[in-house]
Amino acid sequence: MDLKFLVVDDSVTMRRIVINSLRNLGFANYVEAGDGKEALDKLGADSSINFVITDWNMPVLSGLELVKTIRGDDKISKVPILMVTTRGVKEDIIEALQARVNNYIVKPFTPQILKEKIDQILQAA
Amino acid sequence: MKQVSNMSDLFERLNDLKVVFRYGQKLIPIIQSIIDFMKETVPLLEDINTSIADSTNKIPKAKDQITNVTSATELATTEILDIADSISIDLDKIEKELKLLQENETKKKELWVKIKDLLKDNDGSGQLVEEYEQLDNSIAVMANFQKVFDKIKNDVYNITLSLQVQDITSQQLAAVNHLIESVRQRLSSLVMHLDETELSNMELVKIDSPDNSTFNPEAVYTKSQEKQDMADSLVNSNSSKASQDEIDKLFS
Repeated sequence: MDLKFLVVDDSVTMRRIVINSLRNLGFANYVEAGDGKEALDKLGADSSINFVITDWNMPVLSGLELVKTIRGDDKISKVPILMVTTRGVKEDIIEALQARVNNYIVKPFTPQILKEKIDQILQAA
Repeated sequence: MKQVSNMSDLFERLNDLKVVFRYGQKLIPIIQSIIDFMKETVPLLEDINTSIADSTNKIPKAKDQITNVTSATELATTEILDIADSISIDLDKIEKELKLLQENETKKKELWVKIKDLLKDNDGSGQLVEEYEQLDNSIAVMANFQKVFDKIKNDVYNITLSLQVQDITSQQLAAVNHLIESVRQRLSSLVMHLDETELSNMELVKIDSPDNSTFNPEAVYTKSQEKQDMADSLVNSNSSKASQDEIDKLFS
């Protein structure tokens, strides 16, 4: 399966680090967005996007709202979502799970953890 | 008789009035000291008010400075990422060349075996062949180069990973900015209504970050796996068919 990632983060630095890590893991196909709204626009315009990696705290539309919107839209509701965020308290993780993220990484991440979570999501799909 | 009684009343009243005047004379110094105290306190209060107003006016500058720090570190981080990318691209180029050299050396080795075979009947070549073979360690050297390249590539990649600190500290600084802005608003309010009620209210006010904030005030840069382990544990509980009740139980 050809994976096309949508990397969503308001920090340019974080987007570059995630994309560098994806490239190192052998995934060369990706697009990026600076907030949840831009991510939804990209998802709507490009049906080949089949994996979303998103931050939580973002302007305009947060990562959590993005997850809820994706899950509520029949056209894109099945897209796997990996949340990568600084929010590491139990209540936040549970809130994200209730919004139906597929997996959760607490920043700062290591490439091993990123690979592990992507593999877990793909195996479960 | 009635007139006498009225006069007695009058004298009594005048006596009362005399007592009041005497008491008033005792009160005068106290009232004077209160007036003096107020004369001294009012300028002090004005000073305090001016000082708070001055501090309040300076707060936006502090906020701007923090925002500038965030912008500067973001710019520096981008530059470091650019340089790291450039190093990685150069290393990839060198690595490709090195692989070509290694392939050539392997081919040369195969040819050398054939040449050596042709030279075996030639008198005096044995010594030269031996000397040549002692000097020819290029394949081993290239293998070492490859190890060093791999290490440098890994180090460069680790540098870029460490730059996640910029995102995390910028969130912490955004949280500080939010806190400063909240304090500024409270101080502005205090300048306008400097009274005890306002002060006691201020102590009770908890400054929270807004729900839709673009930062996490709890963001931490740490190598500790504790939070990721907790996330994994919750995700695993969830994926092994956790019911809503089970999630609620975890939550409680």
